Amino acid sequence: MDRRRFIRQAGAAAAAAFAAPYILPSGRLFAASGGGLAQHVVLVLFAGGVRQQESVLQRYLADSQGEPYEGNVLYNMLSGAPPEMKIVYGTGLGGINPIPSVLGQSLQQQGTLFREMHAVSTGHFGGLNSLLQGSTAATQGLQQKPLNPTIFEYLRRHAGVPASKCWFVGNSIGGSVPLLNYSEHPTYGARYGANFFAPNVTFGPLGQQYLGDAKVYHPEEQLGPVYAMKAFLDNSFEHVVDAPTGIGNTAAEKADIKAFMAEMFQRTQNGAIAHPPVHDNGDLTTVGYACEVIRWFKPTLTVVNLSGVDGCHSNFTGYLASLHRADHAVGHLWDFIQTQVPGMAGNTTLIAVPECGRNDDPNAIKDQNDWFSYDHSDANAHRVFGLMAGAGVQAGLQVGAEGSPVGLVTDVVPTVAELLGIKSEVLSAGLIDPQSMSLFDRI
Amino acid sequence: MRRSLLLGLTLVLVATGCRKEPIYELDQVDLRPPSPDKDQLKTNEEYAAILHANLFQTGLSANALFELGQCIESIGDKELAREVLISNFMNKPGVILPTDTAMRADPDAFITDTYRRFLVRDPSEAERTWFRNLIVADPNITTELVYYAFALSNEHLYY
Repeated sequence: MDRRRFIRQAGAAAAAAFAAPYILPSGRLFAASGGGLAQHVVLVLFAGGVRQQESVLQRYLADSQGEPYEGNVLYNMLSGAPPEMKIVYGTGLGGINPIPSVLGQSLQQQGTLFREMHAVSTGHFGGLNSLLQGSTAATQGLQQKPLNPTIFEYLRRHAGVPASKCWFVGNSIGGSVPLLNYSEHPTYGARYGANFFAPNVTFGPLGQQYLGDAKVYHPEEQLGPVYAMKAFLDNSFEHVVDAPTGIGNTAAEKADIKAFMAEMFQRTQNGAIAHPPVHDNGDLTTVGYACEVIRWFKPTLTVVNLSGVDGCHSNFTGYLASLHRADHAVGHLWDFIQTQVPGMAGNTTLIAVPECGRNDDPNAIKDQNDWFSYDHSDANAHRVFGLMAGAGVQAGLQVGAEGSPVGLVTDVVPTVAELLGIKSEVLSAGLIDPQSMSLFDRI
Repeated sequence: MRRSLLLGLTLVLVATGCRKEPIYELDQVDLRPPSPDKDQLKTNEEYAAILHANLFQTGLSANALFELGQCIESIGDKELAREVLISNFMNKPGVILPTDTAMRADPDAFITDTYRRFLVRDPSEAERTWFRNLIVADPNITTELVYYAFALSNEHLYY
């Protein structure tokens, strides 16, 4: 072989070896962003408007009802002793029995706590959108798909992650929650969306009645011709209208999801869902099904929405109970991943951030304990915390403090992007809030 | 005599010489694609109601439609949700399907009826031919699978 030919062939081989790992299943070629810090991320949208006073500041009744009782009701997530008196948030009559901690070590000890972050919205839908889009969502309408790409779409488009590896588990179909699995952005959109279940509906009594008795068709001999006929019919119709595309589940992925659904209907009937030890509200049952999604699909990204604490608009006692249960839910979720999902233990990062806070001043509604209720619209409602633990996260670190906030809720998108190795692609897309940056960069 | 012969000859020439010229005309052919006016997406409830009517030839109560709409809403991949819904309907008693024997005895009639039932129009000649060839060539094609495909088609999502 002559020298020129040798150099040409060696160069081509080297170029191929360099580029091949970055050719995605879609066939697109992307520059490498650098390896991620984790293989899986679980993001908890926590949990319907949380006051700093009853969460990170652990003031219990002291900063809300004028009663001198302090303590930590989130002891799976945060370090600190629980209240000793006036216990109303547990189980049993009057909620006098606190739910035992699931984790031996709090997530704060296991990871990094941003003690005070800034929420860009004081509303739920705006807050949820800011967490998932990484933008301020200032022009985002209610009952409207996200305007800018969600983290699901970034991940699927830039990392080539299949649809069945991106999951959004919602606790209801209210509040426009089902709209959040993809945006209407023209260069991202449905074809890069996440799968979504609101499992309390999908696998609840309604789902059992209408979806729980599906006929099983042979994937090749029966569904193959069905899909072929559908493709022919769709081809005739595509000249008429640009029909909405699916989220890109392949036939094999659809079959897998249907098998998962059949399993869930069966396990629900048998009482065998991986619910937390206490599962007496919608957030807790949602997390039980989220655990099942995680066990079955081992998603690259799982987002779980909790919102039970929003009862604080009219019932402070119920708010404390829901807050305590949301902590129980997160503790169970993390424990489940570490003990029941071998493929994800040790390589998963958990992030929990409220979409918004709550007011400093109460409204006029008093509950059964004669305690005031709180809405979310003032400056205090912009105060939230952020918690990360697991792969790639420094343990035992606290960042920021009351009066010196560090981080925005819109930082969650670049943070997840950094964890999963697509930060530069997300930043270069130019569609997130210019003030946002990865929480790792804030540190 | 000569005059009579001349008159007769003239009449013969006139009778045989005035031949009507053929007139060539074109059939009216609609060059638009099938269903050009279907551009309104059905809501989840409308889809479920029409699907149920097509399969069972009976209506659903408003309450059942609301609940079905919620079930579809709870699943992110709407195409998957529709597949699950159709396969649930197909598993229930009361689905009205033509027999496979009837389909194979007269594929053209079955194809036309199916287009009218689900898509509220007649098939084009190309569509009829494609489905006829499929039915004749593949013994595994059943009326249930054809109905499934039509129920799942994008055109069935629109009115």
